[in-house]
Amino acid sequence: MGIYEISFWFLTVMALSCALGVILSRNPVNSVLFLIATFFAISGHYILLNAQFLAIVNIIVYAGAIMVLFLFVIMLMNLNADTEPQKNRLVQIAGAISGGTLLLVILAALRTSTITSLDQTSTDIGLIKNLGKTLFTQFVLPFEISSVLFLSAMIGAVVIGKKEQTV
Amino acid sequence: MTNLVYLVPLFPLIGFLINGLGWRKIPKAAGGIIGSVAILASFAVSLGIFFEVKSTGASTVVHLFDFIQSGTLYIPFSFQVDALSSLFLLIITGIGFLIHVYSTSYMHEDEGMVKYFAYLNLFVFSMLLLVLGANYLIMFIGWEGVGLCSYLLIGFWFKNRDYTNAAKKAFVMNRIGDLGFLVGMLLILFNYGTLSYQEFFGQLNGGQVQLSANMYNWIAICLFIGAMGKSAQIPLYTWLPDAMAGPTPVSALIHAATMVTAGIYMIARSSALYNLAPAALNLVAIIGLATAILAASIAIRQYDIKKVLAYSTVSQLGFMFLALGVGAYTTAVFHVMTHAFFKALLFLGSGSVIHAMGGEQDIRKMGGLNKHMKITGITFLIGCLAISGIPGFSGFFSKDEILASVYAHSPVMYYMALGAALMTAFYMFRLYFLTFTGSFRGTEEQHHHLHESPAAITIPLIVLAILSVVGGYVGLPPVISEHHTLNTYLGSVLSNFNVHHLEHSTEWILMGLSTGLVIAMIIVARVATKNPKFAENTGLAKVLENKWYVDELYDAVIVRPLGVLADVLDRFAEKMGVDGVVNGTGRLVRWSSDRVRLLQTGQVGFYIFVMVIGIAVIFALRFFGLNY
Amino acid sequence: MKAIIAATVLGVILMFAGLFVKEKKSVASLAVFLLFVLLGVNIWDLVTTAPNETLSFFNNMLRVDRYALWFNTLMTGCTLLYALLVSKEIQRVGSHVAEYFALICFILCGVYMLSTYNNVLILFIGIEILSIPQYILAGSDKRNLKSSEASLKYFLMGAFSTGILLMGITLLYGATGTFNIIQYTFLQSDMLSPMALAGILFLMVAFAFKVSAAPMHMWTPDVYDGAPTPFTAFMATIVKASAFVAFMRLFSVSFGAISSDWMMVLAIITAATLFVGNITAVFQQSVKRMLAYSSIAQAGFMLFAVLAVNATAWQGMMIYAVAYSVATIGMFAVLMKMKDYTYDGFNGLAKKDPMLAAFTTVFLLSLAGIPLTGGFMAKYFVLLAAVEQGKMMWLVIFALFMAAVSAYYYFRVIMAMYFKQGNAELNTEVSATDRFLLAITVLLVIVLGAAPNLILNI
Repeated sequence: MGIYEISFWFLTVMALSCALGVILSRNPVNSVLFLIATFFAISGHYILLNAQFLAIVNIIVYAGAIMVLFLFVIMLMNLNADTEPQKNRLVQIAGAISGGTLLLVILAALRTSTITSLDQTSTDIGLIKNLGKTLFTQFVLPFEISSVLFLSAMIGAVVIGKKEQTV
Repeated sequence: MTNLVYLVPLFPLIGFLINGLGWRKIPKAAGGIIGSVAILASFAVSLGIFFEVKSTGASTVVHLFDFIQSGTLYIPFSFQVDALSSLFLLIITGIGFLIHVYSTSYMHEDEGMVKYFAYLNLFVFSMLLLVLGANYLIMFIGWEGVGLCSYLLIGFWFKNRDYTNAAKKAFVMNRIGDLGFLVGMLLILFNYGTLSYQEFFGQLNGGQVQLSANMYNWIAICLFIGAMGKSAQIPLYTWLPDAMAGPTPVSALIHAATMVTAGIYMIARSSALYNLAPAALNLVAIIGLATAILAASIAIRQYDIKKVLAYSTVSQLGFMFLALGVGAYTTAVFHVMTHAFFKALLFLGSGSVIHAMGGEQDIRKMGGLNKHMKITGITFLIGCLAISGIPGFSGFFSKDEILASVYAHSPVMYYMALGAALMTAFYMFRLYFLTFTGSFRGTEEQHHHLHESPAAITIPLIVLAILSVVGGYVGLPPVISEHHTLNTYLGSVLSNFNVHHLEHSTEWILMGLSTGLVIAMIIVARVATKNPKFAENTGLAKVLENKWYVDELYDAVIVRPLGVLADVLDRFAEKMGVDGVVNGTGRLVRWSSDRVRLLQTGQVGFYIFVMVIGIAVIFALRFFGLNY
Repeated sequence: MKAIIAATVLGVILMFAGLFVKEKKSVASLAVFLLFVLLGVNIWDLVTTAPNETLSFFNNMLRVDRYALWFNTLMTGCTLLYALLVSKEIQRVGSHVAEYFALICFILCGVYMLSTYNNVLILFIGIEILSIPQYILAGSDKRNLKSSEASLKYFLMGAFSTGILLMGITLLYGATGTFNIIQYTFLQSDMLSPMALAGILFLMVAFAFKVSAAPMHMWTPDVYDGAPTPFTAFMATIVKASAFVAFMRLFSVSFGAISSDWMMVLAIITAATLFVGNITAVFQQSVKRMLAYSSIAQAGFMLFAVLAVNATAWQGMMIYAVAYSVATIGMFAVLMKMKDYTYDGFNGLAKKDPMLAAFTTVFLLSLAGIPLTGGFMAKYFVLLAAVEQGKMMWLVIFALFMAAVSAYYYFRVIMAMYFKQGNAELNTEVSATDRFLLAITVLLVIVLGAAPNLILNI
């Protein structure tokens, strides 16, 4: 087992356990911190895949900007373990059961599948130059049209966030 | 002339649009005239078409426009003009016109008169579509249309809750039947790829597509279920008596002369299919016979003038299905025609009586009306004679033809049918004697109010009375004349299947037997109603509230032995069987609705839980179970 | 392709208009005008494309055929009709009228993408463009707690289904190495890897969520009931039809050859949808909520088109989309005029306003599928497609039975209007313009029923 495999498994375990930590911890601040750790683990995966640009962007945008925003919101609203509404134990059990069932069924379904390894030659697709080229040639439409998506999300932020004038 | 066939449904449609859009503005008289003229115009065109078809004997498909065109499927909007449809055209527009004229007087006090004429025109339009369509889809469109109009017209006086319930019941029962029709239609389409009569029957006769005998039976039975709903046969008959809630002319037009015969039209039209489906044909005969007997027995103990006629209609429809079931298609059509004449006459006559009595429908409160309303009395008597099958009147010829065909098919069925025919004579004359002879039993005020109806009412009565007499001469029995006008006319479209002709001597005997017994029944009715005593029926008022229970069979001397049976029928057949199935379905839907509704808790967590379980089940199903 | 650009640009114009034009009414008029322009652009697209021509854009990201263009044009027409009918009510929802209309334009952009996508990435972005504005519109009435609740619920569950959609896309990519939907046609039944099959099932589940098919329908009643009524009308019609066309495009074009692998599952989903939608609708007291369940029930019928995988199914989908949208928009337009959304609120409407009652009757008859209305033709075509395909007679019969059940709850409204005593109160005066527009809607419903060829033979 070389360094590649060791880091792969390490990052995988870290990503999964931190993701579990997000939903299991009682304190919202802890949840956010776990989420940041998860993002770091995923960035690590990107690096393993030779996609340094994605790794950096992931950290800057998600772990940096968005999560800090989350923390601000949580702190401003003064959420902590005490203010968290009492969760119904039944709902937790139901969640565990349904999630477990789904996991079981999907595992059983995919247990026989073999993963055909994809084309290995283009592993440097994650490099910023290649990524940019692909994005602006082959995938230019999805890339550009995402702007509509973000535009409508922004409108949403304004419409929902702005105080309604008394009519 | 056949090219102008589109005018026939067009006129009522225009009448409907004018009256329907402007029913608040148009004065009552104008609304009535618009409605009647529209039907008169289509009657004129129908006459022209009828005589052209009569002279050429041709059956033509008039193509109007392409309705559906998709891939291999092609359904044009076209009309089939042939002997069968042109005959129905005449019945619908002719009787329709008379009833429109009658309605101008009958409804003139009602504030919704223009709306009423709009509905009536819409009904005629749908009915014309039903008989004119050159494929099952157009027939189905008309089929649903008449159902809708019947719903609107039964509930016309919607302020009464019972009436609206009756309307709803009629609609729901019809929808149950429609389901059968639709399934049958889809089966035809699936197996033959066409819904057009010409192509479908051509393929049936040509035998290009061979199906198992079972398949033919299933298709035929599905269609027959549709006919059961529309033509009020066991077990879907109970809506028709309740449908009497509508105005009387509506009962005459829709629930006696035209709409309820749609089922007969459909089966006659599909005779090529039924010839290949003997089991289905047997079912038709049995259901028809059972309905004829059951409804006739119920009619014996009804006191509401319209209910008697309603059950009588159900019973007569049973006769028609019996005729279809033994393969005598033209005979069934013949009876449709004569029945349209005399039953419309009887309903309109009863309307005239109700009018004179100031809305009273209970025959126990009538009596001796002959003195006050001569024309109504005489025409009503003619109607009774016709329906009872007295020689010389139209009903005799058609009913005799049915009985003869049934005898050739099975003597046992013949005797049962004869029994039903005798009951018919009894209840009709019981009705006549109680209403028109003896002394008046109503209040003094009603007595003063008694009067003959105006000309707009009596003239249609007289016309129909004449038709009820002469209408039968188009189909003289073989013992009198070798030439059967109606059979010759219909011959190009419809021919009887497997019907053996009786020897002349047998036929004479049967005719004599039925005539003699009918006259005997009339005398029995006369005696039974000589000094009517209604007091002994104390328990009956309550039963009458639930009119569609067969309870009425008990009590009388002649029917007392049947009382027990009636009770059993009531308890088990009606309440648990018919009612149980019909209401039970409704109750099941409501019950499960109540349960399923509770799943909607409003909690996102629960929703996602259901989704996840759903996904798991879907995966499990696909990977470890079902697959095509 | 022009239409996608136009929809985006017009949306942006509307946003700016919100900045400069303060009068709500002028904004609404501008929006209607811009929708007219959009319709024009669609028609331009349509007439400049030859009947059998198939164009592809941006490295096969979009594949534009006649069907898609025709669908886009019709849906834009429906949106225009919708905007004309409810623009007054939209102005009453809140103060951001320009933004609401801009969001509707963006949704239309998503609609165009979903009818022409040739790549699952476009499908994904299209579905998101369709969904995110809906979350916002659902919560646009901020004075109403139910509206905010609807928005939040829709967002949470929508995010969940997006996750499933991505999972499906990923698994399929893993199995085939491509995003192109044409290349998925190389999948074959006898050597279908479990991974590809799981991907297909995940995609099916995600679509089932978007079209509100059971058991992924649970959000529908709450969201449709809670959202402001004008926006419910939009979500339940054009958006749903568009999601269906996307569903069909993927499952007929890409997975049509291996339909035996997913058909049974979808048939069960269809049966469950028909059952849940129709049965639950029976018990509702509010007409708005009844319409929410009825939209689930109608989805059950539209699923037949997806199931059938043949030429008739495509036609059936087209006519169903249009007939259902037009009748539902009309019904909602009437509902918005009512003060009380319960059945009792309709009592005696025929007396008070016979014209409105007559229009409502036509819409309900169409929804119930009575002949000579568009709804009948729609049901007829989708069921016909299933019959032609031949494997699902049991389901067709079940659907017919459910259609009979549906008559019950639609006729309850008609009964209330015509046969019950009461004083149906109107929220606002029904102006002559409203009547004219409703009359046109009624006319469309009837024309669709009498001559479906008008929109089928293109």
